[in-house]
Amino acid sequence: MSTEALVVFDGVIKKFGQFLAVERVDFEIRKGEFLAIMGSSGCGKTTTLRMLAGLEAPTEGEIRLAGKRINDLPTWQRDTPMVWQSLALFPFLTVRENVEFSLRMRKIEKAERQRRVDEWLERMQITEFADRNVAHLSGGQRQRVALARSLVTEPEILLLDEPLSALDAHLKVRMQTVLSNLQRELGITFVYVTHSQSEAFSMADRVVIMSRGRIEQIGNPQEIYRAPRTKFVAEFLGSSNIFSGQVTTAGNGMIRIATPAGEFDAVSGAAKALGKGDKATFVVSDDRIQLSNQRPETGNALRASVVGEEFVGATAVVHLENPAGGLELKAQKSHEELEHLDLSPGAQVWLSWRPEAAHILPGE
Amino acid sequence: MRKSITLYGMTFSLPMAIWQVMFFLAPLVFLIALSFWSVKNFRMEPDFNPDNWTRVLGRAVFWQAYLRTVILSAVAAMVASVLAFPCSYGIAFKLSPTARRWAIFMMVIPFFTSYLVRVYSWQIFLSDNGIINAALARVGLGPFPMLNSDFGVMVGYLTLCFPLVVLLQLFSLIFVDRTLIEAAHNLQCGRLRTVFEVVMPSAKVGLVIAALFCFILTFGDFVSPLYLGGGDPPTLSILITDTTKSGQQWPRAAVIALTMIATLLCVAFAAVSYAYRERGR
Repeated sequence: MSTEALVVFDGVIKKFGQFLAVERVDFEIRKGEFLAIMGSSGCGKTTTLRMLAGLEAPTEGEIRLAGKRINDLPTWQRDTPMVWQSLALFPFLTVRENVEFSLRMRKIEKAERQRRVDEWLERMQITEFADRNVAHLSGGQRQRVALARSLVTEPEILLLDEPLSALDAHLKVRMQTVLSNLQRELGITFVYVTHSQSEAFSMADRVVIMSRGRIEQIGNPQEIYRAPRTKFVAEFLGSSNIFSGQVTTAGNGMIRIATPAGEFDAVSGAAKALGKGDKATFVVSDDRIQLSNQRPETGNALRASVVGEEFVGATAVVHLENPAGGLELKAQKSHEELEHLDLSPGAQVWLSWRPEAAHILPGE
Repeated sequence: MRKSITLYGMTFSLPMAIWQVMFFLAPLVFLIALSFWSVKNFRMEPDFNPDNWTRVLGRAVFWQAYLRTVILSAVAAMVASVLAFPCSYGIAFKLSPTARRWAIFMMVIPFFTSYLVRVYSWQIFLSDNGIINAALARVGLGPFPMLNSDFGVMVGYLTLCFPLVVLLQLFSLIFVDRTLIEAAHNLQCGRLRTVFEVVMPSAKVGLVIAALFCFILTFGDFVSPLYLGGGDPPTLSILITDTTKSGQQWPRAAVIALTMIATLLCVAFAAVSYAYRERGR
């Protein structure tokens, strides 16, 4: 994977009549990377992908593929195969004919077509179904046919629009492995649109998070998870320990923020230079919160009442609330750490965290 | 419980079954019986006389008419399908839903007027000193004999079938999965080629059924071949009317009718099994 840009979205806007589907996106897709575009439905992620595929034309801005402007290039003149959510396999063709389709469109001679189709059927382990009707295949098999059909021409880039959403959980994980391995082996750029955080974070090199037609954050999964840029991203990733307030004092790399639930210290870190009176929002990840019966002597502390406990394998997630601060809180702890606490609903406990554990959202 | 469900189902399926028996099965059985009757002194007598079959099927006139009818209907089915496709394709893919509803409504309007009336009005257009030839004469062309020709028959057949063929094609084209078209484009299949590679195979059932209906309707039609085609050489339907008129030969007419029914059954069966045939195992 290099950092060389294969695709550039330059101020791209897409309107459908009055509806603004994509409000202005600027980002690049690097050669050979696995990029996931993630967001809830209606955030513009699929429209962004369709513009890259040439199925929609941008209203404004420019899309460049390998340095060339492709705004007005019809999809059949681009080499940007896509895997649809519905897979869009041709039901009137056999598995082999489906895979052969784009080779036939490119007027590749028969023997060569045969060879490449055989190779891809083999690679996707669907050789035995070659002469089957696609309607008679299972979900996972159909998935493999769709991948083979798009990859048989060995394109530079593959677009995937929530291709795994119709599969059951077990198969989904298996297909994730297939996709990751395929991408690594071929070195092809994958652009993967999904609303599932687990799919995006487990496969992608970089993740683009979109909301209401805008990009909220771009980064690798660890970065985004550890340092969300905006409140939307933090909420989207399921963090619930989000505190908003005003800076009271700042200096020496430390910052003090007054929130409705109390005053807390944080390390200003990479956050923009915040001064007294500025608004600030920070999150504390749920595994970095301590729970205790008494107020600890140092660090930030907050009293909250237990809402309930959720069992997650080796750990438990304790849900808490602080009505005065309008906060919903979460702490993830091992079972031993929770043994000495009263966690019945309504019980009062102290939450605490070190100033370094608070991440100030730079985008708020 | 089980019995009441059966009764419930029966209530709805029974009218259909009764209809089938009364208007198809019973007349068919009667027709078969009739084809073995004898005619003596212009009167029909119940009999078991295979003579009608050998006489009709042994005549060259019958086979000429048979061949002519099959060819005319097959050509009509093809011409109507080819002419109707761009029309139904445009309605299905290029029009807005509102415009599409209007187009469908317009396709229904021709059925308001009797087919016979429409065929008579074609005579006014097609005759040697009719409207079309008069217009052509103004620019120094013609006259072209259009009435009493196969061209006239074809015009009549299209009058009968065209709106129906468009509608039948349309209803299958509307349900073509648009994603498949996008997928084909995305796999480097150009616009026109996608029509042949994806749209037509996807809508195959509707396209075949539309052509089949055109074949069936024209195969039994006698208005167009008679009033626009001149009736000579005859088609099978004209042969039937001629046979009944000449000496009360209803049994021989029944033979012709039965061969027509048998032909239509074969064609319909072949067409439907072709339409629903699936690729691969």
